[in-house]
Amino acid sequence: MKLSDLKNSLSDFWKEFYKVKSGIFGLFLFALFLILVIFEPSLLQFPEANNRWRDISYWENNPKSAPPEWTNFFSSKKSSVSDVLDTPEEKDNNMGALRMREYIFKYNYDYDLPPQDMIFMAEGSGEPMVLLNLTRPDGESIDLIQKNYSLGENGRVRISTEKDSKLEAIDFASGFEEYSIVDGLDPSLVNPNEILFSKAEVGMINNQNPLKGEYVLKATIIMQNESDVIKNGKLIVTGRVFGVLGTDSYKRDLWTGVVAGIKWALLIGILTAIISVSLGVVYGVISAYLGGIWDTIMMRIFEIFVSVPLLPVLIVMSAVFKPSIWTLIFMMCIFFWVGPVRTVRSMALQIREETYIEASRALGASHVRIIFKHMIPLLIPYSFASMAIYIPGAIVYEATVSLLGLGDANIVTWGQILSDALNSGAVLNGIWWWVVPPGLSIAVMGMAFAFIGFAMDKILHPKLRTR
Amino acid sequence: MYGKYVLKRVLNGIAIYIILIFIYSILFNVTMEATVRAQIEEVVRAEVMSMSNSTITPAEITKYGERRKAELYVQYKLDKPVGERILFRALNTLTFQYGNSTIIKSSSGSNRVMDIVLEAVPKTLILFSTAMIIDIIIGLWLGIKKAQKPGKTLDKSTSVVTMIVFGMPSWWLGMLMIMFFAYIVKIFPSGGLHSTPAPEGFAYFIDSIYHLILPVLTLVILGFWGRSFLTRNIVLGVLQEDFIMSARARGIPERKVLYGHGMRTAAPPIVTMALLALLTSVSGNIVFETIFSWTGMGNLYWVSVQQNDVPVLLGNLSFTTGLFISGLIILDLIYGFLDPRIKVGGKA
Repeated sequence: MKLSDLKNSLSDFWKEFYKVKSGIFGLFLFALFLILVIFEPSLLQFPEANNRWRDISYWENNPKSAPPEWTNFFSSKKSSVSDVLDTPEEKDNNMGALRMREYIFKYNYDYDLPPQDMIFMAEGSGEPMVLLNLTRPDGESIDLIQKNYSLGENGRVRISTEKDSKLEAIDFASGFEEYSIVDGLDPSLVNPNEILFSKAEVGMINNQNPLKGEYVLKATIIMQNESDVIKNGKLIVTGRVFGVLGTDSYKRDLWTGVVAGIKWALLIGILTAIISVSLGVVYGVISAYLGGIWDTIMMRIFEIFVSVPLLPVLIVMSAVFKPSIWTLIFMMCIFFWVGPVRTVRSMALQIREETYIEASRALGASHVRIIFKHMIPLLIPYSFASMAIYIPGAIVYEATVSLLGLGDANIVTWGQILSDALNSGAVLNGIWWWVVPPGLSIAVMGMAFAFIGFAMDKILHPKLRTR
Repeated sequence: MYGKYVLKRVLNGIAIYIILIFIYSILFNVTMEATVRAQIEEVVRAEVMSMSNSTITPAEITKYGERRKAELYVQYKLDKPVGERILFRALNTLTFQYGNSTIIKSSSGSNRVMDIVLEAVPKTLILFSTAMIIDIIIGLWLGIKKAQKPGKTLDKSTSVVTMIVFGMPSWWLGMLMIMFFAYIVKIFPSGGLHSTPAPEGFAYFIDSIYHLILPVLTLVILGFWGRSFLTRNIVLGVLQEDFIMSARARGIPERKVLYGHGMRTAAPPIVTMALLALLTSVSGNIVFETIFSWTGMGNLYWVSVQQNDVPVLLGNLSFTTGLFISGLIILDLIYGFLDPRIKVGGKA
């Protein structure tokens, strides 16, 4: 079989394949996943997510357990959307040695549910003092915090109203709220932003009505020393809803996680399928070709591998050896190759009896040449079909091992996202945006390859074709 | 003739089981020995502690501890060369002496791994056999329907669903089902084998079934599509044989052609397929139990991984392997019974 023959048979195959709609749909989904992988860097809002998925400090400015932004569309109460205000109005006042810098942020609040947090961030050095003041649409002005920093060289100022302004907010509310509610209130249970963004009236602690309009947050930085520097002030409003797929309870952006998981799922699935199916096909052909005692021995070894309960063994091996993703792929290949052997062997037994095999043997062709040149090429279409069928299996097995917390901790896979979701009680708390997207991705990817594989299968087994 | 076939197949299965246990012993020897050493340390420390308030001098206590440790090392053969240790461990596993767990205890308080595993086995069998029986009945029925009118709407639409659910992890669907049926529409419990406290008598039976519905439903929803697709392919393959055409030509009623001629031929592969599905489903969906807090063997894997309880993990694996191989043997025996060509050594 020459290369051009192979090309011909492949193009024949493609002509047949093109007629099967489901196969084309599968290919379309596969292409879609590939495009997502290629354009991953430009799709991700958090480019370092691949390396810092488990680094909590990388995600600290996101809201916690926030649903996707588009859920606002379906809900009668609009949740505030996350926003970054990084172009504030800047004012500098110099009074001799004392220098003052003001950042003025204007935030237009037009939602029913207040942001989870407002975070003021700036870079600088020295020992500046920071004051935050919020002016509300109703004219009330609240001093949120006054704090001295010692930043050293290239430090960072980070003020979160949620953590740092609890007492100030309660103090503000006590001017309007009934005494019985304010008295004995546990500050740790109060989110100050709920008070700050609600109408100043009785009930503003427990049943807030939103106060819409323009809020002005003024950050005043007082620098006393020559060496004190402050720059790049910005205000991060962490909303109640976030991004395309929301965030989990570790504040991680789930869209980033799901997109970053695509390449690993593809890699695990395709690599495992290619290696194990190739091994299985070669093994089956060799066993059938050699026949006799070799066939018996090889089939005995095959029987041992078939008798292994796959997933339990994978789980125990992962628990004992703590594999990296590459080792895991290797371990899966050790057990997956048995899949196509039986079918391949029976097909090869027929091929072996063909006259052209006999002819080439008579011409003095070596075993290797006969096996790889004359037998295996005939099995290539079948191999592709079984590869496509094995890909979803490999992806699901990796996800299952990861679900148990045994996955490779240096990468992000869908199984690991689901494992975190399960362990953090996302199911119990109804955080569906944490559970549905990664699992759905596994299912859709599995579906894509199932469509491709079943379409090929249909072409290869004309007997099952519908009349 | 059949007796010889049975004997051959059973012996073959036992041989494979022994080989696999040996492979496990070689693979996991290092981890297992580390655990046994830690357990011995613990035992000796406990004994020494209990002696410390008596009149014996500290030097004697240390000496006693050392001697005791050496004794236990001899008892567990840790002083022997590697090959002998592996052999010893494999023989122990083959005789179901899985040793003691490090943390996990059975509900009766025993820390023998065998007790813990045996407690989990029936629960797993109940869950998966119930699901599989329903699954196979629906799958067979649908598969025959599909094969009767291949290429028609029913066949095409169900085939598409088969592919859609092909790569869906059962545990993920379980999570969704719990979310929906236990927390949004509160009609089913979120997990467990029965309510706490467990009711008595007949109420207990009803309660157990009530808890069984959601996990079984999940497994069935995901499972029967694949079953029906395979049945369809097998039956369709048989229906295109020449003898079916000749039966039709002789004017035999279509029903009789299908069930009398077609199904008789298709039965052996279908039965194999169904039972093999049962086996692979137990082995492949084992983590599924954890989602429903179903304290079977799958959950035991989860717990022992979380607690890092190596003896339970390995004991459970050996037992699962044993069950799996027994299943494969039974499968072959049934196949041989249904298809007489197998037992005489002819080509199937």
